[in-house]
Amino acid sequence: MKPDNQPHPAPSDREEPARVNRRDFLSSAMAAGLAATGAGAAGKASARQAADNAQAPGALPPTAAQEAMESEIPHGYSADQAREYFVRNPGSDFMLDVIRRLGLEYIATNPGSSFRGLQESIVNYGGNQAPELLTCVHEEQAAAMAHGYYKVSGKPMGVLCHGTVGLQHASMAVYNAWCDRAPMILLAGNHLEATERRAGVEWSHSAQDCVRVIRDYIKWDDMPLSLQHYAESMARALKIAMTPPAGPVAVVLDGHLQEAEAGNQRLSLFSVSVNQPPTGNEAAVAEAARWLLEAESPVIVADLMARDQEGVERLVALAEALQAPVVNQFGRMNFPNTHYLSQGSTAVAQADVVLGLELFDVWGVINTVRDRVHRDSVRKARPDARVISIGSNDLFTKSNYQNFQRFYPSDLSIAGDAQATLPMLTDAVLSGMRPARRATNAAREARWREAHSLARAQALDEARYGWNASPVSTARLYAELWNVVKDRDWALVSDDGAQSRWARRLWPIDRHYQYIGRSGGAGLGYGAPAAIGAALAHRAEGRFAVNVQKDGDLMYTPGAFWTAAYHRIPLLTVTHNNQGYHQEFMHLQRMAARRQRGIDSSWRVGNELRNPDIDFSRMAGAMGVWGEGPITDPDDLGPALARAAEVVDGGEPAFVDVRCQPR
Amino acid sequence: MSAFSRIAQSPGLAVPVLLLWTLGWALASAEEPADDVRKGRALYVSQQCWQCHGHEGQGGVAGNRIAPTRYPYEAFARLVRFTNLMPAYSPKVLSDEQLRLIYAYVRSMPEPPPLEEIPELDFD
Repeated sequence: MKPDNQPHPAPSDREEPARVNRRDFLSSAMAAGLAATGAGAAGKASARQAADNAQAPGALPPTAAQEAMESEIPHGYSADQAREYFVRNPGSDFMLDVIRRLGLEYIATNPGSSFRGLQESIVNYGGNQAPELLTCVHEEQAAAMAHGYYKVSGKPMGVLCHGTVGLQHASMAVYNAWCDRAPMILLAGNHLEATERRAGVEWSHSAQDCVRVIRDYIKWDDMPLSLQHYAESMARALKIAMTPPAGPVAVVLDGHLQEAEAGNQRLSLFSVSVNQPPTGNEAAVAEAARWLLEAESPVIVADLMARDQEGVERLVALAEALQAPVVNQFGRMNFPNTHYLSQGSTAVAQADVVLGLELFDVWGVINTVRDRVHRDSVRKARPDARVISIGSNDLFTKSNYQNFQRFYPSDLSIAGDAQATLPMLTDAVLSGMRPARRATNAAREARWREAHSLARAQALDEARYGWNASPVSTARLYAELWNVVKDRDWALVSDDGAQSRWARRLWPIDRHYQYIGRSGGAGLGYGAPAAIGAALAHRAEGRFAVNVQKDGDLMYTPGAFWTAAYHRIPLLTVTHNNQGYHQEFMHLQRMAARRQRGIDSSWRVGNELRNPDIDFSRMAGAMGVWGEGPITDPDDLGPALARAAEVVDGGEPAFVDVRCQPR
Repeated sequence: MSAFSRIAQSPGLAVPVLLLWTLGWALASAEEPADDVRKGRALYVSQQCWQCHGHEGQGGVAGNRIAPTRYPYEAFARLVRFTNLMPAYSPKVLSDEQLRLIYAYVRSMPEPPPLEEIPELDFD
């Protein structure tokens, strides 16, 4: 950190080189239609947007009285009277300066009184730019948006909420992000000083330790008691959140600190240098290279590994050096599925050395537990297979929630960030490769090219089955979607696991941003808001974002679509609407069969979402999102998607409800 | 992993199923009686086979493709009764006759259109 150890000046003394004067900004923003859409959409502002934004409450110009407030004592007030009623230099203005210095571009929020000071600073002192507030209708939605945004942009988003009821609402999405190693900075409003609380709600919305509710699944938190303390805690929070394994952090914003006069304290801002990801031990990496070179059938398995395209390319370099197949578990887009070394999970069964990279579950790669009365485990890998594990799991974890999975004693365990360690490993492989080993690469390549080609042909063949079925098959859903996205710079912002992985099987995925993995904790309510957060990041790059949305998941956080419409976040959402909680049906079916009671119509109880059927397109429409459906005839799907794509091309979200096969 | 390869990795099932598979490939071409197919379809729906195997038997991540099946009845029945791949339906909840009718329906399911007739699957 580089302290900028200067006094934090009063408003009249502050220079604003990096900030447009807020009054000038607001005037120009109204004219250009920027205030509600953010800078990323500035060039695309339509006449409609400009007209709408002229009415946006966040862009109102200051009144004459407000202008006078900033420079002089209002008429009729003595200096003492003015001190009683007006704040010239509120603490939350400094809080915003800190946030801006740390580079947060967006803050997702559902407004609340415990952080009204900071909210006012953001919209008036900061002009609602960098950070821009994203209006959310639920804190779970806000946190999930931050989750999705990070996985595309690589940047943390702020989540501003009540320390009590807000964090409680946000907790599910925070847990997903924790499991998925997605950083975010939770800013939690709280009033610690009891004698200054207003009676009633302000007491209900205060806590001695408000972060306690989520502390089991965040990396760090603090409750600063001064503005300087806050500045240092925010800088620390950012560093900790971004250091692998990345994860959420929380800083409590005391209400009094926000709202009271900061005065002329000497306050320091910090420019934070985020930690470089740690690499594995050099000697251990060299040993890993020896094992991989000695192996007859090395296999690489990658899960939460690549942070960006560089990570993908590093893995391609290692795989090609070894001519070793890569099993991409798609926690992130680690490896192009178009590459001949991209192989299915069965490759692990014949491996004599398995290299695991940032595996969510090492044990589960090597073994499986059979879901039957006696839950015995079976080893999937060869008995003599050796396992090398490179990852940051052991660098930080917590004990209560068990998302760390069953323990597996890897034969060679290297603590370090896998993406950062890959160049060292690849260099060691290339430098240690003898001519005899190198000579085997051609045969290995031929083998895997053939296997890849066969798998590709098999996927296309399988996609034919149920092609004309109604409800629509999930294979056809993705095939029709491909026709829409194939000539665009596309990105899928959802996980296709519930749709029989048809995106991964059919679509050529070779860019890191084209696939963002899964929710992490499998907590429902992730899909829509995470997709919208990801789409926000794609908007800045002009990409066409697609979300295949599960119906049951959508019912947790449907309000996210209002946010997409309000902030004009272009996103094509297509439902995988199987009218039920299908995973749970299968559990019920297994229990009924195990107890020899039969399933018949009992599967409906607790699982189906029918009678009444949910009209999702009308629901989307009610929130200002263009909607169509339900589509039941597969031949109607392509034209509906084409119409929706036109809306998205125009910079708006669109929604197509499709009644689909269960999986 | 296909059903066939999973079975092949299960020592107790591999040999008999492989034999039956081979035998059934040759025999499974006879037309099923229309009434059996109709009754079998009703059972396929009521017994929720479609939940994992799809309305057209196309399968997916939750269950293997089963249509049009090339399993002989004996292999088909064994997979339904004794398997780690799906809930084991015993004769108590699904009689032999019901299973036979479901088999008749699954066998009657038509082949999908050839790949050349589906332009949406032309990814080249």
